[in-house]
Amino acid sequence: MAEKGAGRGLATANKYYQDYGGRARELKKQGQRIMGYLCALAPVEIISAAGFVPFRIKGNVNEPITKADSEMETIVCPLVRSCFDMSLKGKYEFLDGIVIPHACDSIARSYSTISYSLGLPYSHFINIPHTTKDISREFFKAELGTFKESLARFAGKEISDDSLFQAIQLNNEVKAKVRELYQFRKSDPPLISGTEVTKVLVAAMGIPAVEASQLLDDVIDEVKKRASPPVKKLPRIMVVGAEVDDIAFIKLIEDSGANVVVDSMCVGTRDYFFDVDTGQDPLGSIADYYLRKLNCPRTYREWTGEIYEEDLEARFGDIGSFVKDFKVDGVILYILKYCDPFGFEVPARMQYIKSLDTPVLYIEDEYSMSTIARLRTRVQAFLEILAR
Amino acid sequence: MEEQKWPEKYPVEGKRGRKYGTVAAMKIGPMVKAAIGSSVEAQQEGKDIAYTFIECNYDEIIRAMDIVPVWTENYAGICGAKRDAQRFLEKAESLNFSRSLCTYALCGLGFDEWREELNDMPPDAPWGGQARPRVMLSSGQILCDPRNKWYQAAQQFQPDVPIYNLTGFYPIYERDADFHETEGYYAKYMMEDLRGLVRFLEEHFHKKMDWDRLWETLRLADETTDLHVECRELRKAVPTPMDTGDAMNCMVPQAFMMGTQEGYNFYKDLRDELKYKVEHKLGVIEDERYRLVWAGGLPSWFALSDFNYFWSKGAVFPVESTYNEQVYSVRELDLPKTDDPLEYIAWRSIRRWTYWYDKARKRPGSEPDVERTINYIEKYNIDGIVVHEAFSCRSWHVGLIWMLNQIAKIYKPIPVLILGKVEKEEKTYREVPSLILESDIIDISSYNEADTRARIDAFVDTLEAVKSR
Repeated sequence: MAEKGAGRGLATANKYYQDYGGRARELKKQGQRIMGYLCALAPVEIISAAGFVPFRIKGNVNEPITKADSEMETIVCPLVRSCFDMSLKGKYEFLDGIVIPHACDSIARSYSTISYSLGLPYSHFINIPHTTKDISREFFKAELGTFKESLARFAGKEISDDSLFQAIQLNNEVKAKVRELYQFRKSDPPLISGTEVTKVLVAAMGIPAVEASQLLDDVIDEVKKRASPPVKKLPRIMVVGAEVDDIAFIKLIEDSGANVVVDSMCVGTRDYFFDVDTGQDPLGSIADYYLRKLNCPRTYREWTGEIYEEDLEARFGDIGSFVKDFKVDGVILYILKYCDPFGFEVPARMQYIKSLDTPVLYIEDEYSMSTIARLRTRVQAFLEILAR
Repeated sequence: MEEQKWPEKYPVEGKRGRKYGTVAAMKIGPMVKAAIGSSVEAQQEGKDIAYTFIECNYDEIIRAMDIVPVWTENYAGICGAKRDAQRFLEKAESLNFSRSLCTYALCGLGFDEWREELNDMPPDAPWGGQARPRVMLSSGQILCDPRNKWYQAAQQFQPDVPIYNLTGFYPIYERDADFHETEGYYAKYMMEDLRGLVRFLEEHFHKKMDWDRLWETLRLADETTDLHVECRELRKAVPTPMDTGDAMNCMVPQAFMMGTQEGYNFYKDLRDELKYKVEHKLGVIEDERYRLVWAGGLPSWFALSDFNYFWSKGAVFPVESTYNEQVYSVRELDLPKTDDPLEYIAWRSIRRWTYWYDKARKRPGSEPDVERTINYIEKYNIDGIVVHEAFSCRSWHVGLIWMLNQIAKIYKPIPVLILGKVEKEEKTYREVPSLILESDIIDISSYNEADTRARIDAFVDTLEAVKSR
């Protein structure tokens, strides 16, 4: 049974974080159907509207990748490999199917491997254009329509506009609550640590939206009532990167003498800081959101300004806003090895962040606890520079 | 064994000996060098130059508009083949591009940054250097993030050069869905995107598309592909008249010269040469003991001599999947009739990318890449499979292990009924061993010759063991 209640929000989040997938397993036993997915680009609203519990497949930095290596090349993004490895090892045996969006080469090129090897009753690949033009949006809406029909066939029920509308509203509610939670990070010191926030967000991606909404209410209530901040006044750090689904790196920064106060990554502001429109055309709104609002570098954004700096502002303006709003002292650009979409943007992102007069540290990592000691040395050196 | 007799027209010559390679392939180096040289001249003359990627559906469009293409992947490959990519890779790395990214792109970015810094070509740039473009034509398709990001990253050094990013999608294979139900909206999307590209080129180069000329260019390109298909078919012969080591050169006109008379002429000459060699049983090697398929991965351009090593072991590659993705005759594609050349390009592209889909669906456990390889194994009488895993490229090098696993499942446990020695059907097991080579496309620091050759030796031992059973 989902846990709730005043003063229990963070404890519940911690429980779901530690036993990731435990709640989904319970729900499965109760007769619910669970649909796994990779990446923030999977349209969870459609999955929810079809009556499935969307469950984001997560890796595990503490678990060496073993089984996956016999079926997937080691040049694939280590997070994707870890997700696949955990799935192969039966960690997510409760899944009824898997939805894979066209996020990046690592995910797209592994689709056959993942779908065949897991042998789930349902799998579907959603093609997402690389550009945001009107014709791309029209295509993407058609592609979402294909997914909707495919999923409806598997679910054995139609997915009505009304059910889509309700799913959008519910997921928007979760997004709004995450934004509310982030407000507690604006004070100095913040009222909630980065490690705590990461646990809450990771927990939320493995439970139904309605329970995530309740969990966030409980956490917000609990944090609001805190008599004093759980952390000291320390340098305020923003983490920018692709996906972090584990506390290891965030905790390392905080243990090194800093507070992580905001991010531009998944799971984080990238997933939660914009809503899906609630207009008359739910599929069109979902297309707009995943193609145009969700700011992932896998999607190319056409120039709108006259000069290069304006292009940088259009692409990375969210980082600038967060640096200002959350009074960030330094940015850590945290990129996983073999991540092409982010990797090609590193120099441009660094140029942009430096233009904000904000120090930046670039780290390329491998999604493994084995690198922690090396990372700690680099983070500590960065914090020393900030302290000067 | 008696030495093969070689005709004057196709002589044994050069250091390698032309009996290994085709005479036609000897033209490739000069052709590429001339093309690169003319693009540098075009820059000096202020002509219309575009950065371009291969297999992005715009070949005939740029040819019909007299736009000079600078094939950036090709130039990186040349730097790699000349073992002169390292300085450009290091330059990119010094700018904080990770060495784990596509090394074609890193080489290009390192080169561009250097060229912009000097306002001139980097010193001793291979074959005169890479011309500065006036536009850049991206296309990530479904298979290559670097193509989506490379030119955008290059704008950091050349922000005045605009990009048109063409999506170029085709339906991905789903074993439970019929792609024919969705291909219509894919074609529409590609057609509209191509229309946007033409508008972009017209605007930037102040010239109008001549649609009749585009049709004419398409016709020439299709005829060129037909000749290329014919060449591939001729390679089925035993002994095979042409090897993958040669095909990695002979792909140049297909990849970089479609819609040109030069490309057409090249495959016509190659076809004639292969026909002659087949008729006269002139093989790549004299004692063709093992026939292999190169079933995936780009080659290490700096180590093409590894093919010589295979030959020295009696192994030859009559066929490869690399660079053959678009080599299907339009006659086989059942294209919808249209008066719109852009719609024609869109359908042609989709039908080529999905060429193996319907065939794969008929075989449990198969997929398009698996099916294509099985087809090659059967039609080219293949004994073993070789793939190359280049560490910096996820686009072409992910899914290879899975493909080999599927093929092993299809071949190993399934008994094949053959007519035995006593003219009675007997059960046998057709084994097709595989070899995975590991290195990179142009980063020579990833390559270990001794290790590679040791793997080849072990693989040949396995092939021999299977053959001797």
